[in-house]
Amino acid sequence: MKQTELSIAITGAGGAGVISVGELLLQAWAREGGRGLLRKAFGPQIRGGESAALLKLTESERYTAASAYQVLLAFDWNNYTRFGDEIKLAPGVIVFCEDAGDVPESVLAAEPTLVRLPMKQLAEAAHDDGRVNMLALGLLGQLMGLGEGSLVELALQKLAHKPAAYQEAAEACIAAGCAQQLDCSVQVPAPGVPGGWYISGNQAAGLGALEAGIRFVAAYPITPASDVLEWMAGGLEQLGGNLVQAEDELAAINMTIGAAFGGVPSFTATSGPGLALMTESIGLAVASETPITVLNVMRGGPSTGIPTKSEQSDLNIALHGLHGDAPHLVLAPLDIADCVYTSAWAVQLAQHLQTAAIVLSDQFIGQSTAVITEPVRCAPLAPPVSCEGGDNDYLRYRLTDSGVSTMAVPGDPGLRFTADGLEHNEQGTPSARDDDHQQQLAKRARKLNAHDYGDDWARIDGEGSLGLVCFGSASAAVAEAAELLAEQGVACRTVSLRLLAPLQHGSLTAALADCERVLVVEQNHGGQLYRYLRGQMDFTQPLHSYARPGPVPLSGAAIVAALAEVSPA
Amino acid sequence: MSTQPLADFLAHSVELESEARERYLELAESMAAHHNDAVSEFFLRMAEESRLHLEEVGGIAKDHDLPELKAWEFQWPDEESPETTSYEAVHYRMSLREAMLLALDNERAAEKFYASFARSSSDENTRKLAAQFAAEEASHAAQLVKKLGALPADSGQHLEEDDDPHMPE
Amino acid sequence: MNEPIKLKAKDYKSSVKPIWCPGCGHFSVLNALTKAFAGLGIDKDDTVLVSGIGCSSRLPAYVDSYGFHGVHGRGLAIAQGLKVARPDLTVIAMGGDGDGFSIGGNHFLHACRRNVNMTYIAMDNEVYGMTKGQASPTTPADWDHSKLTPHGPGVRPFKPAALALASGAPWIARGYSGNPNQMARLIAAAIEHPGFSFVHVLSQCITFCPEQTDWKAVVHEREEEALVDADEAAQLFLHEDGFQTGVLYNAQRATWPPSVPEPQSTDITRGFSV
Repeated sequence: MKQTELSIAITGAGGAGVISVGELLLQAWAREGGRGLLRKAFGPQIRGGESAALLKLTESERYTAASAYQVLLAFDWNNYTRFGDEIKLAPGVIVFCEDAGDVPESVLAAEPTLVRLPMKQLAEAAHDDGRVNMLALGLLGQLMGLGEGSLVELALQKLAHKPAAYQEAAEACIAAGCAQQLDCSVQVPAPGVPGGWYISGNQAAGLGALEAGIRFVAAYPITPASDVLEWMAGGLEQLGGNLVQAEDELAAINMTIGAAFGGVPSFTATSGPGLALMTESIGLAVASETPITVLNVMRGGPSTGIPTKSEQSDLNIALHGLHGDAPHLVLAPLDIADCVYTSAWAVQLAQHLQTAAIVLSDQFIGQSTAVITEPVRCAPLAPPVSCEGGDNDYLRYRLTDSGVSTMAVPGDPGLRFTADGLEHNEQGTPSARDDDHQQQLAKRARKLNAHDYGDDWARIDGEGSLGLVCFGSASAAVAEAAELLAEQGVACRTVSLRLLAPLQHGSLTAALADCERVLVVEQNHGGQLYRYLRGQMDFTQPLHSYARPGPVPLSGAAIVAALAEVSPA
Repeated sequence: MSTQPLADFLAHSVELESEARERYLELAESMAAHHNDAVSEFFLRMAEESRLHLEEVGGIAKDHDLPELKAWEFQWPDEESPETTSYEAVHYRMSLREAMLLALDNERAAEKFYASFARSSSDENTRKLAAQFAAEEASHAAQLVKKLGALPADSGQHLEEDDDPHMPE
Repeated sequence: MNEPIKLKAKDYKSSVKPIWCPGCGHFSVLNALTKAFAGLGIDKDDTVLVSGIGCSSRLPAYVDSYGFHGVHGRGLAIAQGLKVARPDLTVIAMGGDGDGFSIGGNHFLHACRRNVNMTYIAMDNEVYGMTKGQASPTTPADWDHSKLTPHGPGVRPFKPAALALASGAPWIARGYSGNPNQMARLIAAAIEHPGFSFVHVLSQCITFCPEQTDWKAVVHEREEEALVDADEAAQLFLHEDGFQTGVLYNAQRATWPPSVPEPQSTDITRGFSV
């Protein structure tokens, strides 16, 4: 059965408080047991540029970006039009706007229900310091059926550090908005179970890492990863760990390696340009078998690209960016809640297998905030093989069947060794000998390939002759596509890859065994996942690609349309 | 060194001989790594002679309560202890003759060091022992001089290389 | 309980034998370091030497402590991460002039500024030895021995001590490979200094800069006490000949991070509940 969804866009100038309105609405909605997603869109200015809070209220926690908005509240038209195509209006959209000024043609084209109100006047009438955004909060809260008391309480919490007059103004404006006579209504989705979490993907990834034992973070600011690091700074202070703000990404990754060498689980977060700078040293972590986890929150690339918009175009560099033969882990969280799980799993795998893990989140799940059921946690792996006191003939890089050797840390008596990025023998002594190189290369590959990753390598849903394969945050759009296709009578199996390297060839082949055709879905231009799968595996069925770069988010409808083109049934 | 001249003298003698030995060993290994076997073997022999001398000095020293000095607390006439080969004096293509000349300089410097104690120490036992050590160094030097006389002269071109240095990293 | 056996300098050497050219100044740094360890009675198990890439960066493998031989220029970053995460360890970073002042230059500036309690030994031979003797940031402008810069690099060399001072390093010393006993004293003092201590070592390259054997004649020990005033130190470092050795600057400054954070609460999810 098709779910009820309600998408609301709030636009205005940066600093005018549209984001706060979105946050408070979603928080109040969550208190009622509602589910929903809040995306934020900005112009390139740090302050004052256009700004949008994009709300999507849903019944399930399958969060895709809204393809069109049923409600728009525009503080003014200039800032709305600056978003261009990014905010599409559904036919019959309810539009709240000032009663003065012309409504743009693009808005009128959607045949809107116009709610023209003197919003600025109403706010000022409610309180001398009244502001439009709190009036808007009342108006939209009323439309969503939220209680005034809840909105005021949340708003006052948020404004706790503001002057008293400001708080009074907010309260008065919310009340005025709630009391305003409205001649329109919307159907809101049915609420779920009350008592979830309100969290962003970046916070969730940071939380997963800390829960998995990360106690050292080196950080260099980059959009859209900075808020992971900022959240972790607070978390680490609480848990008794350390965060260092590094001078650049080269330092950040090497500080991470240094701390990890000291036996402290270590982490850094970055985005494409930062990952590119880090790759040499990620290779060092691989060669020296130092466990580190790198969260890469993907944005539009290449180069500076589109820093504020999402894309899945760092898959190639994450998989293949390291020089030499450098097997390592690449994972991708499938949604905001899964950021907790996958981030923790990556940390555990990196620690257990003494290697580098790259986690590919992206701006969409990273910087969106959602209401989720408290996420499932990753069961702890057996701790890394530890060492007893040694007798000075310790072999740090001993050749073992599993490929994993014991890892001594400074302070362990009698197990002194020098970790090395130069090829080395079992002891760690630099060596250019053929047998040492072959053996150490094979060891480092073996430990990743021999590990049993269980069922977590992918999320698999549905049965059908059409296979939809994706990774990371494309998962929700693919699920949406499967639902649309089911309505058309096309049954799908969806496979959302959480573990990209090492690729679980056998499991993926088995998961697609009943599929007569497969579409690989991803948000980039080059078909990076498609080409990776093609290069790694033999498919018995035709394999098609739907690769659509950002900044427009992936959607189920677009996937269905693309399927009709590349692989007509 | 005024409070306990003999103990101080012995501490310096032990350090002198052990540093001479360590440096010869280090140079021997380094020369071996650079495939200059003749010089490596020579430095190994010199290390062995230093070891024998160290044993002798150590035998005497064990009956005394020697001061525990850090490396930088010893009083040497020069930067390093007298019998220690200077780092900048060696070359991987150096000839056996050049190595022997270095060793000869070391023996003579050690002899000079001991001789100064033999002359000027306030303590009679120290003077006696220092004179004995000086004589031993002198005899080592004489042996080296003899060996040097038997060696053919260097071509003068042996430090020249036909290939450029390597690029290991 | 038995008295711990007092280790001699040679006991701090590992079984790995140096590949350095005979005559290389870095042998002297290795000896000075092990002498400093012996002098301080350093515990091998609690000591980590960290380096980047280059001739001098090979040093950690030659010492019987824990070590990390990283990638080019990043030794200081690895070392700071390690020390912040494990303040109980004695951490010493080291490398050459190319590693520390060129590819790793930014880390040098920020390590001086950050003032983590560790030691950095830069073995400066004014040349890239591992790649066949190219000019480095400390090479004289007219040094024309490299095919890469046949007329000399043509740009003025860095003054590492001045750079360190300007970047906030609280403790600066200079040693010379021709005087390992003095260098041992400097390194020992550096390790004992509570904060970031920078030991600039003039360490000759016998292969590409044989003229550096002449350093012996010009190196001189500074007789005066270390300067504590940054203005005076700036004057000194800008106008000196670069060949004076000893502890040159010694200022006390709060180290970073300020203290070991104590866990407060393990409930980090509270803020997320609706």
